[in-house]
Amino acid sequence: MQDVRIRIGIAAILSGAAFFTIEGALAAFIWWLIFSHPLKVLKKIRVVFPIIIMIVFFSIIMEITGGGGLAYSIRMIIILLIGMWLYCEHQTGEFLHLGTWLFGDRAGFELGMLAEMAMQSLDILSSDFLQIRQAQELKGVRWGVRSLIPTGIILVHGTLRRADDAAELMAVRGYTRGGTFCPEFTTTMRDILGGLFALCMVIISFVPASEFFILYR
Amino acid sequence: MAVQDVKIVLTDVQAARKNWSLTAQGTLYEGTHLISGAVGSGKSTLALMLAGLFPPVSGQIKREDVSTLMVSFQYPEYHITGTTLEEECSSWGLDPFSVLTAANLTGKKTENPIKLSRGELKMLLLACVLAGNYDLLILDEPFSSLDCYGKERICKRLSERSRGITVIFTHEQTIFPRIDRIWEIRNGELCDRGGLPEALRHWYYAPKVIKNLISAGKIPKNITPGDLLEAACRT
Repeated sequence: MQDVRIRIGIAAILSGAAFFTIEGALAAFIWWLIFSHPLKVLKKIRVVFPIIIMIVFFSIIMEITGGGGLAYSIRMIIILLIGMWLYCEHQTGEFLHLGTWLFGDRAGFELGMLAEMAMQSLDILSSDFLQIRQAQELKGVRWGVRSLIPTGIILVHGTLRRADDAAELMAVRGYTRGGTFCPEFTTTMRDILGGLFALCMVIISFVPASEFFILYR
Repeated sequence: MAVQDVKIVLTDVQAARKNWSLTAQGTLYEGTHLISGAVGSGKSTLALMLAGLFPPVSGQIKREDVSTLMVSFQYPEYHITGTTLEEECSSWGLDPFSVLTAANLTGKKTENPIKLSRGELKMLLLACVLAGNYDLLILDEPFSSLDCYGKERICKRLSERSRGITVIFTHEQTIFPRIDRIWEIRNGELCDRGGLPEALRHWYYAPKVIKNLISAGKIPKNITPGDLLEAACRT
C-alpha cells in the first residue's frame, strides 16, 4: 500500500475495532490476512514473537485471577499485528508528507519530522538490539531477565544520546520551528480496495448479526 | 598434545545487502591479518560472517580447530553487561585490577561503564578482549575513538599475542601492530595481498606514508611505527 493517509486510517479504525470488541478483532485479523502479506511481516519483524509470548503470559494470569484473559490476548495480538504491518509498510519521509498535509507547515511539519525521527530510531534500535545480543552471546551471557536489564539500559542510553546529538546539530544548523514542504501522495487501486474493505469489516463487526440475517423474531 | 592447525577457509563466499555485495575467497592461517577497505565496503559484515554471526548468501566459511572466538564490535557499548567497571571486568572472568590498569582506568572501578567516554570504553573493551586467549579474535575498527597513546598500547598488546588467528578490520592510517598478512576489500571483492613486506607493493589502500616509502625504494619490513621509522631513516 502506497498512500500513507489510507494506511494510517486503516490502522486506526482496525485497531479501534479490535480494541473494543472481539468481533472487531476478528474482522481486523481477516483484513490483516488478506491485505498485509502476513508471512512477509512476520519474517521481517521476528521480535513480534517474544512480544506475543509476553501478551499470552499476562493473559493467562488475567484468566486465572479474574477472567477475560483470552479475549484480551486475542485483541492485543491483533492490534500488535496491525502495528507490525504499519511499520513494515513505512517508507522513509512519508510521515513528513502526512504531518504537513494534516496540520500545515508549522505544527504538521514538526509532528511529521518527529514521527520520522522516531521511526529512524526504531530501525537503529532493532539493529542495536541484534548486535547487543550477539555481543552477549559471545561473552557467554544467557538470554533472560538478567541480560534484559543491561540491554535496555544500553538501548535507552544510546537513543537519548542520539536524540541529544540530533537536537544540537539541528540547533547549530539554525533550525527553530516549522518548515516549508509540499506533501505528495500516490494512491493505488489496492489502497482504495484495502481502505473500503477495512471500513466494511469495521461496520460489520459493530452491527449485530441479526441486522444482517433476518431469521425470525 | 596435538598441534592445532587453526584456520578459516572461505570458499566462494557471497554476501549481499541492499545495493551492496561482497565476494570472498581464501584461507586465513594462524597469525595477524589486516583487512582494509573503504567506508561502506563491507568490513563489518565480513567480520560478522567470519565469526558466524551473519550468514553468507552462498558459499561456505569453515573455521577449522577454532574452539574459542571473540569479536570486538565497533561500538564498545554493545558488550556492556556490568553496572560498574569492576563488575564489567568480572563479567569477562577477569581480574578487575589488571584489566583496569591495562586500560589506564585505575581509580574508576566503581564508575558506571555507560558514563565513560567512547574512547575510554573502547580501551576497557579491548583490554578485556585482549586478556582472553582466543583461537579466533576478530577486531572491528579497534582503533576508532582512540588517541595515539591508546592505539600504541593496543598495538603493543596485539603484537604480543602469540597464538591463534587475529583479524583486524580497519581503515586506520597511522598506527598498526605487527601484521602477517594484508587483505583488502576492493570493488566488492576480498583480495589477498599476501604476506609482508611483499604485500605492501600491492596494497591499494595503503597509508600515504607507506606509499611514499615504497616509491622512494625504502620498503619497510612491517608496518609498525618502529618499522616505518627504520625504513624512513634508511639511507
